[in-house]
Amino acid sequence: MTKAEEVRQRIEQALPGARVEVSAFSGDDHLRASVTAEQFAGKTLVEQHRLVYASLEGLIGDAVHALQLETRAMQKDD
Amino acid sequence: MEHTDSKSIEDWTEQIKKDIGDSRVFIFAKGEKNAAMCGFSAQVMQIFNQLAVPFEVRNIFADPNIRPAVCAFTNWPTIPQIFIDGEFVGGCDILTEMYQTGDLKTRLESPAPKA
Repeated sequence: MTKAEEVRQRIEQALPGARVEVSAFSGDDHLRASVTAEQFAGKTLVEQHRLVYASLEGLIGDAVHALQLETRAMQKDD
Repeated sequence: MEHTDSKSIEDWTEQIKKDIGDSRVFIFAKGEKNAAMCGFSAQVMQIFNQLAVPFEVRNIFADPNIRPAVCAFTNWPTIPQIFIDGEFVGGCDILTEMYQTGDLKTRLESPAPKA
């Protein structure tokens, strides 16, 4: 399993129903993730990112050197 | 680099509280001010330079206890970390998004809250 795949699975487990896209942009340990989740509704960006980081405890800064993160609350028409 | 006596994580936590109160914009970065050693730290400094907003930087590489102290203080795993008016606003991605939407400019143009 690639690191990108592991990150995607971890986020999906932590945020059921979320739409998660993860790709590597440099080597296999610099990743970019886009997460759209209804769990983000009403939360600040800091709170949204914290939810994602919490699901990746032990990976960030270690196996995954950098994670560029974009989060968005899921809307009804998503 | 000259080696000074290392401070404890507790001492750094106290220093962090002082840092973020001393300057309207304060950044914990990899590298010194305008001499970042990481692309993400460089990007946040560039944003404030582009907005012509003064900022101060503490280089987390100056002491091995700075990073664990900052990350525990904010419950945030990555560096850089940006504070405005003493409040944690996020890392590089959030700052970049705030810059692109104009929220950052709006926030910096509003007067600093009275202490």
